[in-house]
Amino acid sequence: MDRKYESPACKGYEALLEDSVSGEIGGSDAVRLSEHLKSCPGCREAREHVAPSSRLLRLAEASADPGPGFARDVMARIRTDKDVRVERGFWQPLVSMGWRFAATATVALALLVAYDTTSHVQQPAQETATLEAARIPDVFSPDPARVPSSRDEVLMMVAENEHGKH
Amino acid sequence: MPDVPKNVAASASTVAIPLSRRSKGEEERDLVRLAQNGTEAAFEELIRRHQQRVFALVGSILRRREDVEDVAQQVFLKVFISIKRFDLRSAFSTWLYKITVNECWDYLRKKKVRPLVYEADLSEEQVSRLDGIVSADRPVTGASEQAEIKETLDWMLAKLPEQDQQLLILKEMEGFSVQELAEVLGLNVNTVKVRLFRARSRLMDVYRRRTSPGTKPGAHSASAERKR
Repeated sequence: MDRKYESPACKGYEALLEDSVSGEIGGSDAVRLSEHLKSCPGCREAREHVAPSSRLLRLAEASADPGPGFARDVMARIRTDKDVRVERGFWQPLVSMGWRFAATATVALALLVAYDTTSHVQQPAQETATLEAARIPDVFSPDPARVPSSRDEVLMMVAENEHGKH
Repeated sequence: MPDVPKNVAASASTVAIPLSRRSKGEEERDLVRLAQNGTEAAFEELIRRHQQRVFALVGSILRRREDVEDVAQQVFLKVFISIKRFDLRSAFSTWLYKITVNECWDYLRKKKVRPLVYEADLSEEQVSRLDGIVSADRPVTGASEQAEIKETLDWMLAKLPEQDQQLLILKEMEGFSVQELAEVLGLNVNTVKVRLFRARSRLMDVYRRRTSPGTKPGAHSASAERKR
């Protein structure tokens, strides 16, 4: 943009010319510029060219103050907007992810401990039940080791087996 | 408290700061510290003090009134969120204006909004009226003339590169100092002065092209040609 710019002013004096046009020059800078202007028609021309710019721009009024209503609106938004109230720093996503992991790990650990405890409690009960069962004689089941001594006993055993299948 | 503005005094009573014996800078630092500790009244006071300049800054970049208010609100919300991280090494205003400029560019990028472009040319009547005011050095009278002048100036500014527009508006219309502009734009003071001078020159090219139809654009650069 500035490459295309063609100014008759000397490059080393543009900042001083700006001070002069905006009325913010004084002391040694003013003397230096005035000495330079005596011998430089380019800088004189450039200063004359831009001189009315301040007057031209100041014809427009500055933007109006938005008034106290604006500050009130912003504060109302701050009070209602939860996202604004909670400061979200750089580490916030990592911290919340860490909490989620911690919660999941705690639940998993609790389940494991509970499972472990219940399995230890159930094991002796099962063993006791088996021993108790061993002591009671089974009067209903036929003894497989017993050999029938007569034909009637054989027929009874066959009849019992057939009855058991149905 | 004779020197204390009414609104400052009002909020000072809420946030309990003895403002009368403090300089403006110290006062502002106190307000910032209170806002950092969560005092909402202090933050509201900071908004009141800076809202006009934030509006001016946003307006100089966006140029649309309806967008200006939204973006200005967003700026203060961001400031509220991050005020605890502000270390008070620079002035609060410098930090605030930097956030404002960044928010504006973010907004333009997200919305893919193009800067305001004036398709229609100025009427001869408008041009001669403006020339009459400038050359006769007479004040602008009445709201309609003011509105017309504003329209004419907006038209001329729209012909300039965006950075030139921003510099000229902030310096001449909104009263920012060169130092403030340098801080806001992250430039050297000398660079700001050079850019301002060149922006003025381009503006006057546009102005002379419209007010003196016989004048060629950049006619003042004849001496530049001679120099080369």
